[in-house]
Amino acid sequence: MELKTFPAVIDSLDSIRQYIKAVAQEAGLDKKASYNLLVAVDEIATNIILYGFQEAELEGVIDVTTEKTDNFLKVVFEDDAAPFDPTKRELPDEEDFDLPLDERPIGGLGIYLTINGVSEFLYEYINNRNRNIFIVDIKQ
Amino acid sequence: MKVTESIVDNIAILNVEGSIDSKTAKEFEKAALSAINSQAQVIIDLSKVEFLSSAGLRVLLMIYRQIKAQSGKVVLVGVSEEIQEVMSNTGFINFFSIAETLQVGIKLLK
Repeated sequence: MELKTFPAVIDSLDSIRQYIKAVAQEAGLDKKASYNLLVAVDEIATNIILYGFQEAELEGVIDVTTEKTDNFLKVVFEDDAAPFDPTKRELPDEEDFDLPLDERPIGGLGIYLTINGVSEFLYEYINNRNRNIFIVDIKQ
Repeated sequence: MKVTESIVDNIAILNVEGSIDSKTAKEFEKAALSAINSQAQVIIDLSKVEFLSSAGLRVLLMIYRQIKAQSGKVVLVGVSEEIQEVMSNTGFINFFSIAETLQVGIKLLK
C-alpha cells in the first residue's frame, strides 16, 4: 500500500491524474480502463477541492492510497472536509441520455462518469474523514 | 491547456492542447464563445487533448446550444478513442459531427 498526499487545491488535479496514471500503468490496466479511472478520480477530486475545501474556505489535503492485488487496483481518497456522499446525488438515467442536448439536465454527469468509469465505487465516512474508494478489476 | 484560434475560409478553427478539466474548462469556454461569435462554422481540433472531464463536456454542451441557436455548425476533429467512448456513453456523440482530420472536418462544412 502506498500513500501520497496532495494539497486540496485546483492545481493538484493535474498531478493527481498524472500520479494515478502511473499507478494504473504499473498495475497493468489497459488504455481504456486507465483513462476511465482517470475520469473517475478527476471528478471526485474536483468535488472535494471545489466544494469540500474551496467553497467552505478551508485548507487541507487529499490523502491518496493505492493498493494493488492480483485481481484489482484500489485507489482511496481521504479528506477532512465536511461529510459528502457523492453516491447520494441523483444520477441521470437512460431517458436523460436520449433527450436532445438542449433539453438535457446536466447535474450528476460527473458522478455518472465516476460510477461508470470503475468496477466499483464506494463512499464511507470513518473517523471524521470522507473516504472515496475506486476499485478496478484486473483482467487476468 | 492552450487554445489557439485561426480562421480559414470563414471557418473558425480552435486548436486545443492539453487537459480540459475543472481548472481549464472556463478558458476553453471563453475561447469557444469568442470563436462562435465571430463565425457560424466552427471546428474544434481536439487531437492534442488527452483528457476531457465532465466540465469539458459541459462546455461542449454550451457550444452545441449556442451554435444551434444561430443555425451554425460545429465539427470536432481528432477526438481520441477514449474521449469518444465517454461521449458515446453519455449520448453526447450523437449531437456532434466528428472528423478524423482537419481536412475532412473542413470538407464536412462545405
